[in-house]
Amino acid sequence: MELSDLEQDALKEFFNMGLGMAADSLSQMVKKEILLSLPQLAVVSHRRAVELVNHQDEDRLVAVRQNFLGELSGTALLIFPGGKSLELVRTLLGENMPLEALTELEQETLLDVGNVILNAFLSSFTQMMNLDFEFEAAEFLKANCEALLDLSAHRIAFPNKPDWNEADEQAFFLMMDFKTEDEEQAHNSLQGYVVLLFSKEAMEILKKELERILSQF
Amino acid sequence: MSKSILIVDDSSLARMMMKNIISQSFSEWKIIEANNGDEGMKQADNNHVDMALIDFNMPGMNGIDLSAQLLEKHPEIKIHLVTANIQEKMRQRAEAMGIGFIMKPISKDKLVLAMTAN
Repeated sequence: MELSDLEQDALKEFFNMGLGMAADSLSQMVKKEILLSLPQLAVVSHRRAVELVNHQDEDRLVAVRQNFLGELSGTALLIFPGGKSLELVRTLLGENMPLEALTELEQETLLDVGNVILNAFLSSFTQMMNLDFEFEAAEFLKANCEALLDLSAHRIAFPNKPDWNEADEQAFFLMMDFKTEDEEQAHNSLQGYVVLLFSKEAMEILKKELERILSQF
Repeated sequence: MSKSILIVDDSSLARMMMKNIISQSFSEWKIIEANNGDEGMKQADNNHVDMALIDFNMPGMNGIDLSAQLLEKHPEIKIHLVTANIQEKMRQRAEAMGIGFIMKPISKDKLVLAMTAN
């Protein structure tokens, strides 16, 4: 399934609004301004999504996963590149926190942050798309990218369906680069990016909704 | 002379939404579009512009930098930053520059209120 240029533009703008909401929430948590890059969107096969994440970071990744179910079902992953997750925890909990304590609190803190960011992002996105869905509890994951993007482990995939083929599944690969003002100056950024995974069925629903929205103009 | 409004946004959808509202509510206004800061500056240099609606997060020059340049070169233009970046710092920056702040998503109410405010 392919999206037209205008459909991709619309989707990027909806993501942009979602990221704006997410950045505002994160900014209130870290009490610093969050600088956002332009959202980069690619609709790619599952295989390509794995390659893209691998290209970003080949080591083990830290991520928060949020499944959503409803008119549009899918999975959102907030991925923190290697080592950057502890930077975020340090920013949130204070510079003087010993490394041991930081590591202990990493999972809990990142789950909180991921929950806030992904909820803000997804709520804004679905509001714009006029689609309803509910969130499952966010999960904390530490894995390599193959495992992280393993669709069979996600709710959106239906490996039991006879016609299911992982190679046919598609993903929105959305890069969300966020960093605080201080880190920008120190060239030591807090970074993260979001990957949205949808089943083929969900992508078709999304395309129809985009067509409906764009037909109003 | 009829009034002119310049819309600078890299998103076609955002420009379409704004154009739609303006043409319905202010049909007498001439609408000029640009999809980045440099183009926006050129349009302001080459056209009479009364008001500008400027996105913040665009490739190249961002909306704040464009607004600063416009204020310097064309101080008569009334500017509104139209952005999804709703952080307090961004609002404060717009306020310090004396420009309006409109939060995305754009709605008819928000845009009409901004365009009719003194």
